[in-house]
Formats: sequence, structure tokens, C-alpha cells
Amino acid sequence: MSENTTKQTQTESAATDSDQPLTTTAGETAERTQSEWTEYDFRGEAKMTVDDLDVYYGDDHALKGVSMEIPEQSVTALIGPSGCGKSTYLRCLNRMNDRVSSARIDGSVELGGQEIYQDGVNLVELRKRVGMVFQSPNPFPKSIRENIAYGPKKHGDLDTGLLARLLNRSDADERDELVERCLRDAALWDEVSDRLDDNALGLSGGQQQRLCIARCLSVDPEVILMDEPASALDPIATAKIEDLIDDLAEEYTVVIVTHNMQQAARISDQTAVFLTGGELVEYGDTDQVFENPHSERVEDYITGKFG
Amino acid sequence: MAGAGQTDTQLVEGNTTETDAVAAVAIGLSAVLFALAVAAMFERVSLTGTLAGVQTVTLLGGLLTALGVAVIAFGAGSRLGYVETDPDPSAGLIAGFGAAVPWVVVGGGVASQTLGLGTAGGAVGALVVGGVAFALTVLPREDLGSTLPLGSLLTLTGLVFLTGVIGPDWVWDLGWAQTASITAEFFIPVATLFSALYGGWASAKSYGGFGARGRHMGAYVLVYLNALSIVAFLFILVAYVVVQGVPGLLTGFELGLGTGPQTTILGVSVTLPVSVPFVMNGVALLNDFQGVLPAIVGTVWLVIGAVVLAVPLGVGAAVFLTEYADRGRFTQVVEVATNGLWSTPSIVFGLFGFAFLIPRFGNGKSLLSGMITLGFMLLPLVVITSREAMLSVPDEYRDASAALGVSKWQTIRSVVLPAALPGVVTGVILGVGRIAGETAPILLTMAGGTFIPGSQTVDVIGSFQFTAAPPFVANPALLEATSALPYQLFALITAGVGLGSSVSDPNAFRWATALVLLVVVLSFYAIGIATRYYFRRRLTHT
Ligand SMILES: Nc1ncnc2c1ncn2[C@@H]1O[C@H](COP(=O)(O)OP(=O)(O)OP(=O)(O)O)[C@@H](O)[C@H]1O
Ligand SMILES: [Mg+2]
Repeated sequence: MSENTTKQTQTESAATDSDQPLTTTAGETAERTQSEWTEYDFRGEAKMTVDDLDVYYGDDHALKGVSMEIPEQSVTALIGPSGCGKSTYLRCLNRMNDRVSSARIDGSVELGGQEIYQDGVNLVELRKRVGMVFQSPNPFPKSIRENIAYGPKKHGDLDTGLLARLLNRSDADERDELVERCLRDAALWDEVSDRLDDNALGLSGGQQQRLCIARCLSVDPEVILMDEPASALDPIATAKIEDLIDDLAEEYTVVIVTHNMQQAARISDQTAVFLTGGELVEYGDTDQVFENPHSERVEDYITGKFG
Repeated sequence: MAGAGQTDTQLVEGNTTETDAVAAVAIGLSAVLFALAVAAMFERVSLTGTLAGVQTVTLLGGLLTALGVAVIAFGAGSRLGYVETDPDPSAGLIAGFGAAVPWVVVGGGVASQTLGLGTAGGAVGALVVGGVAFALTVLPREDLGSTLPLGSLLTLTGLVFLTGVIGPDWVWDLGWAQTASITAEFFIPVATLFSALYGGWASAKSYGGFGARGRHMGAYVLVYLNALSIVAFLFILVAYVVVQGVPGLLTGFELGLGTGPQTTILGVSVTLPVSVPFVMNGVALLNDFQGVLPAIVGTVWLVIGAVVLAVPLGVGAAVFLTEYADRGRFTQVVEVATNGLWSTPSIVFGLFGFAFLIPRFGNGKSLLSGMITLGFMLLPLVVITSREAMLSVPDEYRDASAALGVSKWQTIRSVVLPAALPGVVTGVILGVGRIAGETAPILLTMAGGTFIPGSQTVDVIGSFQFTAAPPFVANPALLEATSALPYQLFALITAGVGLGSSVSDPNAFRWATALVLLVVVLSFYAIGIATRYYFRRRLTHT
């Protein structure tokens, strides 16, 4: 793999194995990615700014020089074929990739103007501010109530322990308010309000996923990262989650990975297209990306000629 | 089983129901024979006596013959087309070997012993007869192959018993050493047992109409009989100990107000309304009835002490190994070491306690040394099972927790450990079963003997004291020499007849000790199961 790729010129593409990466032989499959295509002009503030981000898993170069700005209080969709590095990218935004021992990350990610890849970053605080919902629902084997109260309790914001109860200082009421608020925000309250003490594993897949969203909201994040949150759900549950994301965007910054183009087109304000090889090829207003993409490869991908 | 045939089209044929019934009766007969054989083996049925008015051996022979004839008849009937079945072309190699093995035994035995042809003749006879059985199983169509050789075997065995060629007094002197001989008491139940298994197999195949369904039936019956025999064996073992132990346990048993000893419960002195001297007394010169109370208390404290020592250490080590240490050389070394430690013979642990712990704890055998020794024995198993349990906690839980910004240690404490607890408890249950029955380490670290005076009943809770000097608490009871049930049982058995002067019935005393040991261990087991159930329920129900 060539290291010559710069932020401006990225010529490596999966389809060609060019000896001279900087020459401009744009064949049918080889196409020069241009920096204008990924420069997205938006109104308002950038919540997160990613600059020249490279990720390696061992020798495997999974993300190549990705730069993008994520506007606040909006929905950003990440699309692209399987294995192109969408999840990898998402996990960089709250440093979950630190948990993968083989991963090495180069570049810069800023949250509200503060670099998150520097020494002395408080991971607890970072992950509180940048929450995450995973591809498959992963509630804890605890009651619905405990699932939601878990984060705040561990952060010391809620104390319902034995000692607190004995000292009559229990935050049980606050906890119940929080549980209700998060469940309402996640559009789950009506379905589970009468069985908050049941085990969360007894919920359906779609309910579990909404519970995970509610759990993510419980620590009051600023950014919510979602990795294909609806991939295991039926159309009705998916529609619920989509509505939910729409509502969430009024308050939170949502970044969502999806394989479903219609979904991306429906719910997102801006769309980033990653293509095989781990490059960001196009990023811009969702309507523009879907209706009038700059890149031929992106057009092929969106119209289904190439996956 | 019964309903399956009714949906089959072959049920339309008139006579099939009756022949099915014959096969079903044959299966039932095999089960009865199996039960009789097990009962005879454990001397619950006397071979010399009578059963249902018939000599036991004659009855067994009759049943075996009937079963054999039924099996052959069914196979022949099927081959000749009287019975509608669905046989394969051959019974297959496995069935062939299955049938050949008993015939090899029969052929060899008859040739070398009955006909007196010597070892070489026996080998030839075994090969020839086994080969014929094999050929007869494999070569003909399945219905004949899987019934004829086995049915003949059953009939032969049955006739041998019926005609009294092998009766209750039969002995086969092996002539190896003076002592080696096979008696009828052993041979008849074993032969019946295997014949019943073969009979059940063959008749189940017949019942299923041979073919794939028949084989399924055959396997089903074999597996079922096997599972049953395991349960039966366990039950017989426990029942045997109970029957032998209860008389000793209840010597001097009294029920009624004011009969029991005085104890203090919550500061109030009460007189228990029952008296079971065997578990309420130690041994003293003036006792009417002697008992094993010190050893019971010793065993209970020993197990508690070992668990209290091993569980925190073991779970902590497992947490470190699974959650913190990188997989590599070091964890591998620890893994090998724990596995090795678990396989270390207990006498070695005992010796370690004797040489290392005793000089450090008051220079005498003591409860504390025993606890620590057994704790070390328990430790590796707790580490191994806790590790397994933690590794099987899905990583999704850890990810979910980390994504909420919860620190690693809090994640371990509130998510990983609760999810792993049932597995940890399983490990502790298994380990307690082992250490509660250990004899050798107790022998070396805790003393004891055939009779333990009541004064050696340790009072661990009552003897906590506060002292002026560090460490400010002391518990002399932990440093007392005491005993535990397994060691006392061992001592009672090795003491032989010398017991007679102290207890009226030494044998009953021994069995009662064994029974109490069994009850104590099973109680710990029950506590463990209940704990595991509780933790598991919390994970899935809340
Ligand atoms: N933990 C890991 N260790 C090593 N390689 C990894 C790891 N996670 C991802 N990769 C590699 O990085 C590349 C990008 O993976 P990633 O999971 O980000 O793809 P993705 O775009 O999310 O795909 P999908 O749409 O299928 O989820 C892949 O080639 C993958 O094999
Ligand atoms: Mg992915």
C-alpha cells in the first residue's frame, strides 16, 4: 500500500493496483478522489472535526486519511460496502478502538474543539459525552430499570445503594424519573412501563435495541454514534427507530452507519460515502450525494452497480 | 413409542399390531431382566432364594429363554414375510462386532473349559464361534442378522441357567492365584445384565421394524437403559449407606420435651425437644451413647474456612488473568500451574501443611492449618472455573459498559462478575465435594482419631476474643486440634475390632459416621445448587 496518499490526492483504489499512484490514469474503475468532494460546507458549528485519520489493524490499513467535519444537532449517515471501515471510523470517535489491542490510530479527532487523541484525555468523560449504540442489541442481563440507571449510578450521579437507603438519602425517585424520561425519549415507555423490573433479555430484539438507545441517553451524551442500529429489526421497529433518530437530532448530534440507502436518504442531513479500501470518497448534503454525486464510483455504488 | 406405529401405513395390515405387541413385550422383558440383574448384583435379590415362588436362577433362565425365542421368532417371521418390516440389506459392521463379542466369550469359555481343549483350543473356539456370529449378523438381511445371533445367545444363556448347568453354587476357578475365581454370585447377574442389554437392543430394533427407524429404536433403548442404570446405581449407593447407617445414627434417639441437650439460642437457654446422641455428643467415659459431634463441627468449619480462603483469592486471580493480563507467556504459565496444582495428590498438600503450616501456627495440629491446606487445594479449581465463567461472559457487555464511560473495574464488578457467578459457584460446589471428603491432609494437619472427646468440639464463633496487642482479635479455637468426618471414618475402619469396648456396635457406628459424612457433603452441595439457582435467576428473571 502506498503511503504517498495525502489529504488532497488519494489515488489508491481497490480495483487497480497501480505502480505509480500519483499518475492520473483514470480508467473505468480507477478514479481520482478529489478533496472538493469531501469538503462539505454547512451552516452552523462543527461538533466533531476529524483530520487525516488513519487506522491500522496490525499491517492492515483500514482507514486512509479520512477528514470530515460533523455538524452539531444533525444526522450524519455513513454508508459504504461491507468492510470499508465504517465501524472502524465510528469507533474512533469515542476511542472504542483503544480496546482493540491490534489497532493503531494516527491523526486527529476533535470534540467541540478539544483533541481527543492526546495524553490526559479522560476516557470516562469522553464516552459519557459521545455515546454509542451497537449493531446488535446488547442490554445487560439486569432489569430494564437497572439497565438504564446503570451508567448514572456508576458515575455517582444516582445513589440507590443500601447505605443511601438506610440514611434516607436514596435517589430512587430521581432514578425513576430518569428511567421514564429516557424510555420515553427512546419511544419504549408505553411498551414496558408496567414491567420495569423484568429482565431486559426478555424483550424483543427491537425493544432491546430501543432500550440500548435509552441506556445511551441516560448519561446525557452530546453525540450519539449508532452502528447499523436497525439491521436486525423488522420494518415496523425500524420505522420507530428512524422516527426516534429524527427526534434525537433536535438535541443531539447523531452519526449513524447504515447499509440501507433509503434509510440514509430518509433520515440524514448529510451523508459520507466510504468505499472499499477505507477511503472517504464523498461527503456532502444528503440530497446532493444521492441525486448528484461527484464521483462515478459513488454513483455506481448508490445505484447498485457496484457494492 | 407406542403411538408411532399407528400413523404408519403398515398398520393397515391385519396382524402387525399383535407382532408389534410381541416386540413391545420383549422390550419390557429386557427391562425387567435388567432390573433383576442389577438387584441381584447388589444382593437385593438372593440367587439362592426364590422369587415369585420360583428359584431365582430358574426364573432368570426362563425369562432369558423366552426373550431369546421371541426375538428369533420375530426375526424369522419378518424374513419369511409374516411380519411387515422395513429391513436394510445388512445389519451392519457395528452390529456384527456387537454380536461377535459375547459369542467370542462363549466360544472361548466352552472350548477351553467345558471341552477341556486348553488355551490354544479356547482361542480357536473363540475365533470360530465369534466369526460365525459375525458372519450371521452381517451377511443375512437385517431382520435375521440382528435377531438370530443375539436371540440364540439369549436362549443359550437362558437354557444354561434353566438346566442348572450354572447354578447358584457354581464356581469357576481361574487357577491364577489361590484367590482368583468367578462365582455364580458375580457371573449370573453380569451375564443376565448383558443379555438383557442385547435382548433390549434386538427387540427394540424389531419393534421399530428394522431399517433406520429400527436402529433409532435400538439406540434409544440402549441409551435409556444406560441412563437408568446410572440413576439406579446412585440411588442404590445412597440407599445402601442410609440403610446401614440409620441404626447407628438413631442409637439412643429420643423425642419429647426436655430430652435433648441444652443449648443457647440468641442468648436464651433452651432444651431441645429431640435427642440424637450420635450427632450431639462427642465421646466421653460417662456417656450413655457416643457420638461424632466434634468431627461434624470440624468438617463444617473446615469447609467454610477453605471456601472463605479460596474463593476471594481464586476469583481475584481469575479476574486478573481474564480481564487485566494480556494473553501471553505469563498467563500460559499460570494456567499450566493451576492445572498442575489441581492434579496434585492431596497427600502432597497435606505434607506441605504438616511441614510448613504447623510450625507456624502454634506448632501443633490445628483447625487453622487444615483450613489453609484445604483452601490451597480448592484454590486451583476456583481459578479454573472462574476463568471459564468470565471468558464466557460476552464481550458485548463489556463494550456496552465501556461505551457508557464506566471504568473497567466497575464494569467487572457490576457486569462481568454477576454474569460469571453461576459458573464460579459450580466450581466451588465441585471443589467442596472434593475437599469435604479429604482424609490425607486432615490426618497430617488436624489430628483426630477413632474417638474424639466432646471437648474437642470447636466453638469458632464463641471464642473470638479481643486482645490488647495487635492483631487485636484472637480465636484460640482455630488453633485447637480437632478432627473431621472422613478422617474419623478412616480411623474407625482401620481400628478394626478394637472398638468394641467403647461402643456397643462398632459396625453400626462406622456406617452411621459414613452416613453423616454423606449428609454433610450433600448439604453443602444443596446449598451450592440453591446459590447457583439464585444467581442464575437474577440474570434471567430479576
Ligand atoms: N478488531 C479488528 N481487528 C483486525 N481487523 C479489523 C478489526 N475490525 C475491523 N477490521 C478490519 O478493518 C476493515 C474495516 O472493518 P469495519 O468493521 O470498519 O468495516 P465496516 O465498514 O463496518 O463493514 P460492515 O458494513 O460489514 O460492518 C475490515 O477489513 C476488517 O477486516
Ligand atoms: Mg460495521
